[in-house]
Amino acid sequence: MTDGYPILAVNHLVAAFDTEAGRVRAVNDVSFSLEAGTILGLVGESGCGKSVTALSIMRLLPRPTGIIESGSIRLNDTDLVKLAPDQMQRIRGRRIGMIFQEPMTALNPVHRIGRQLVEVFALHRPDVDAGQRVQEAVALLSHVGIPEARARMDEYPHQISGGMRQRVMIAMALAGKPDVLIADEPTTALDVTIQAQILELILDLQKETGMAVLFITHALGVIAQICQDVAVMYAGQIVESAPVTALFKDPRHPYTQGLLTSMPRLSSENKSTLPIIQGTVPSLSQLPPGCLGPLFFTGTLGVPIGDGSEKRKAASCGKPKDGFSHPRRCAAKKGGAGACGGRCFANCGTR
Amino acid sequence: MTAYFIRRFLLIVPTFLGITILIFVITRFVPGGPIERIIAQAQQQALEGGGTAVSETVQRQPLSDDQIDLLKKYYGFDKPVLVSYVTWLGKLVRGDLGISTRYYDPVWEMIRERIPISLYFGLLTLIATYGVCIPLGIAKAIRHKSAFDDASSVLVFVGYAIPGWVAGILMILVFSSHWELFPLGELVGENFETMSLWEKALDLAWHSMLPLMAYLIGAFSFMTFLMKNTLMDNLAADYVRTAMAKGLTFRRAVFGHALRNSLIPIATTFGNNISVILSGSFLVEKVFNIDGMGLLGYESVVERDYPVVMGVLAISSMLFLVGNILSDMCVAAVDPRVKFE
Repeated sequence: MTDGYPILAVNHLVAAFDTEAGRVRAVNDVSFSLEAGTILGLVGESGCGKSVTALSIMRLLPRPTGIIESGSIRLNDTDLVKLAPDQMQRIRGRRIGMIFQEPMTALNPVHRIGRQLVEVFALHRPDVDAGQRVQEAVALLSHVGIPEARARMDEYPHQISGGMRQRVMIAMALAGKPDVLIADEPTTALDVTIQAQILELILDLQKETGMAVLFITHALGVIAQICQDVAVMYAGQIVESAPVTALFKDPRHPYTQGLLTSMPRLSSENKSTLPIIQGTVPSLSQLPPGCLGPLFFTGTLGVPIGDGSEKRKAASCGKPKDGFSHPRRCAAKKGGAGACGGRCFANCGTR
Repeated sequence: MTAYFIRRFLLIVPTFLGITILIFVITRFVPGGPIERIIAQAQQQALEGGGTAVSETVQRQPLSDDQIDLLKKYYGFDKPVLVSYVTWLGKLVRGDLGISTRYYDPVWEMIRERIPISLYFGLLTLIATYGVCIPLGIAKAIRHKSAFDDASSVLVFVGYAIPGWVAGILMILVFSSHWELFPLGELVGENFETMSLWEKALDLAWHSMLPLMAYLIGAFSFMTFLMKNTLMDNLAADYVRTAMAKGLTFRRAVFGHALRNSLIPIATTFGNNISVILSGSFLVEKVFNIDGMGLLGYESVVERDYPVVMGVLAISSMLFLVGNILSDMCVAAVDPRVKFE
């Protein structure tokens, strides 16, 4: 597998939920591409649509309320949005594996760990006989760093720790040898030491297998640690996407700037107030149509304070200054300005 | 866990002792009893025998004090409460439930005669309840908010709103009286003895149909909705999503993963249902004129036939105690997280 070509390309994805208050677009025109052998970080705050994006790719949006309205999700040359349920089934676990946020509840409490893991082999490797499956499951468990794997096979999820459960989840996601791994906040529920171990494990496994990883998190630190590219989501849209070094060095979108300013740093003054992004994310059902730019520039939403506030002034709507002329770097890097669908902040004055 | 259940079984002894004290105290101290009943009967006889000029004797107590003392001695009311309790308990432990004050038959014989009838309906109801409610609950959960779900909900709720015996009366009116499809009551037909085995089975089934429906109608809604709601909770659980993400079909995720978790609350009700098997419902039995345990218990209370009341209560509370332990065993069997120490 060679690096560089997009193995998973999401184009203009719109995923919505039918609620009692009407249809809410949780993912609104999201485009990005995941290149083979790389890790793409999808970052944003709670409710910004990260997980809905991931579930859309897996076609696991809660039924019947969650639907993919439009857009395409291409895995190599297959459009997952158009696949029949039984075809999609063969993709899940086999071509795309997924790890979830909450290891405490993501495993079936009444089935033994071995049974849950062997199930994946039975599904995707029907040629392997039952004894062999158990052997492979044990080998895989030791591979993801579970000691005494043979004994663990007969235990129930409640008998092992959260970190161990997440390792079991990773083993289950990898059992089908997928090309793409979606990790939906895999370390959020774990303590810091275990977080570091799990991150290292994912990184090692990625290097070893060469799979592509879509890593969803709200922690920019994690992004900096493991990702090559990063996409920042806000209110159902990707507001900025860039290679990870470029984004951290030169964030262009006010929201990204706000996020980075809000991170505590070793260099910041002791006991000083941590800069925060003010306000809360607007309810998705009350979002104005089209570009989110004006929300930022007129200050109705997240406004970075501290040094961010000066930049906000400079970037008031209609008078885009240099850094803000095109803050949303397109996922299609070579596509140029037009590829982002004309929804960039540069257009907000003339929208 | 074995030690735990042995302890639980041993704990039945003191609990049952407490129950017997309650039963004894209640039957001994509530007004009315076999003596009062005999006095009333005597009054009745005096009234019928004496014609119009008997008002004086009726006003008075027809039995002499000697006669009453004799009766008290016969029924054991002459002894102090504690002594008679211990005597009764001693007999109870040996399996002797005493003699009915109404029919003068041994109580145990009376109960034993009715056990097969109650057991028959109880088991059928249990099987039908689980056999219908679990699949119906599953189907409703999977097709939540569909036309099928709504329609069956209406049906189930109507069933819940109507008590079993009222439904029984309605069914008798419609199916037995008006359309004459089913018999009016009783467990078997008049010429049951002369039938062949096949005819007997058919006759029994024909007679059981309506009472069974009446039994089911109440238990139905609770179990169906318990099943539906717990399954829906589990379908929304993370581990079902995990199962789907592994590549399982929705169907296999439901039956292979969500179902067993959903059976845990159902298992907790299992033991209680076991005890209901034998006691049955006296109202349904009354409506359909089925001579089961429920009817026996009900009539013995009305007629102040205390040995029978005490016998029925002792047996059903014993069943309840064992049923509770069975429930816990079921839960432990279904849910590996449950550890009784």
